[in-house]
Amino acid sequence: MANELKYEWSLALRAEHWVRVIAIAALVFTGFYIHWPFISGSAESAVMSWMKFFHSVAAYALVLGLVVRVYLAFNSAFDRDWKDFSITKNLKDLPDMLAYYLFVNDTHKDYRKYNPLQAFAYLLIAVLIIFTTFTGAALYKGNAFGFINAQESFRWVNAMLGGESYTRIWHFLSMWVFIIFLGAHMYMGLIWSVVHKDKTFSSIFTGYKLKKKF
Amino acid sequence: MGDREEISKQFLGTFEFQGIKRRDFLKFCGATAALLGLSESFIPKIAAAIEKASKRPPVVWLNFASDSGCTEALIKATYPNAADLVLDILSVDYNETIMAAAGKQAEEILQNSKKAGDYILIVEGGVPTKKGHGMIAGKEMLDILKEFSGPAVAILAVGSCATFGGVPAAKPNPSQIIGVTEALKKVGVKKAVVNLDLCPVNVEYLVAVVVNYLLLGKLPELDSFGRPKMFYGQTIHENCERRANFDAGRFVETFGSNEEALGYCLYKMGCKGPMTYSACPKVMYNDRISWCVKSGGPCIGCAEHGWPDKFAGFYERLPDVKLPGIQATADKIGAVAGVATAVGIAAHAIATKSSGRGKGEKEGGNK
Repeated sequence: MANELKYEWSLALRAEHWVRVIAIAALVFTGFYIHWPFISGSAESAVMSWMKFFHSVAAYALVLGLVVRVYLAFNSAFDRDWKDFSITKNLKDLPDMLAYYLFVNDTHKDYRKYNPLQAFAYLLIAVLIIFTTFTGAALYKGNAFGFINAQESFRWVNAMLGGESYTRIWHFLSMWVFIIFLGAHMYMGLIWSVVHKDKTFSSIFTGYKLKKKF
Repeated sequence: MGDREEISKQFLGTFEFQGIKRRDFLKFCGATAALLGLSESFIPKIAAAIEKASKRPPVVWLNFASDSGCTEALIKATYPNAADLVLDILSVDYNETIMAAAGKQAEEILQNSKKAGDYILIVEGGVPTKKGHGMIAGKEMLDILKEFSGPAVAILAVGSCATFGGVPAAKPNPSQIIGVTEALKKVGVKKAVVNLDLCPVNVEYLVAVVVNYLLLGKLPELDSFGRPKMFYGQTIHENCERRANFDAGRFVETFGSNEEALGYCLYKMGCKGPMTYSACPKVMYNDRISWCVKSGGPCIGCAEHGWPDKFAGFYERLPDVKLPGIQATADKIGAVAGVATAVGIAAHAIATKSSGRGKGEKEGGNK
């Protein structure tokens, strides 16, 4: 049983992935600044204005990236993978994968592209992006995309969460979920590459991954 | 402008008698027009509306659970200004805190007002709903509110206590105090309430709403919290005089510092301006002399629903998170979760190594 290189990630998927990485990094950095301005500016500097500017631009990138990803999941010429995220299917397979991760079993079933835990994690990130988008929009005072009056259109979010101060806290806490995900995601990618030598880590740059040949 | 003809000499005479020049009165009318978003041509109309009002309508001012700060704000002007006098001539028939009458006499005035009807009801203070926790002349405050809301032509809840409960309704709220809107819902009175939330109420808002009513015969457009959109449409942050320093990244780090005096932004001192909707920076207090942020104090969010519980601590950037059972700040939660992740990753890395998975693949191993 030899291994062969398989084209796992199309250019569109990789591009969306890296747009998302840059957007999240920018959002986290500027978000921390908006939360607690750690750099002082001068009269001419407009530090906060720029931070808010990049925060908004990165937010647009993140949201539009998700839109593209969802579109690709259903309508990609390369791989329509929306079925991989099926909750019922993944719930059924979850014990198998957990047993492998917890060193109970030495092997696990073969999964198409994402194992159940991965599928759940990526689904969570999609939900999280939607959540941060809505809470962020509820805190935004401008016109989203130039025509949606954020303050008027997203007031219900504030009402639901119990006021703007609570929206702020939820928005802030959800950033930590991104950070935690990032830690786990990078660790998994790295260790998989090291343990299984299947080029998982480099695949998100090149698109190619080593797969078992059947 | 034609105001000369429209404002009668006698009316202006009463103003001059109280130390207000005709010019000052027109200035006040102009300011009110600006507050209401009306053009200059409305100034004589406002003056005429106020003059007409000098014959009526009466105002009944009820005091419930509060510190009478709104009454104080109303009467403690450094010199009698036009706004005060407008409320004077509105014939405030009943106001327990400042009226001379007491006891049976006071009750009589109140009952007479009710019989005459068509008064503007101004409520100051929250409404205790627990039996026996708030009574005037042997009657529950909730019942008094129900009794006098019926014949009123307009109901104005002034100050954060009357609007949404405010300080008296803060946790643990043993008297189960609620705002006027909620109290009216509880007793089954279906009437629009104008919520003038602030602690204390801005007298200029109050006068402007009353003048608006006298002029147009209707209440101003309200937002989802029942607050007039013209005053509560934008955040304090958007119109703040220190805003330029926020954008520039210049922040006050400690109270009493030079930066504070220079007008740097109070964001890091816990200013709730970005989430508080009110026209404070434009209207200010005490005859437009100053307001909280101008004097160097961060906004504490008193114009908002859920204040003060949802805005404490006043000098902290984010209010405390109240999760069931535990109380921790958002930062602490973030730190704990971050450490937990690091520990989890380290544990997994060690387990991988000790289990031997890192030593290359067995035949038939996955991926």
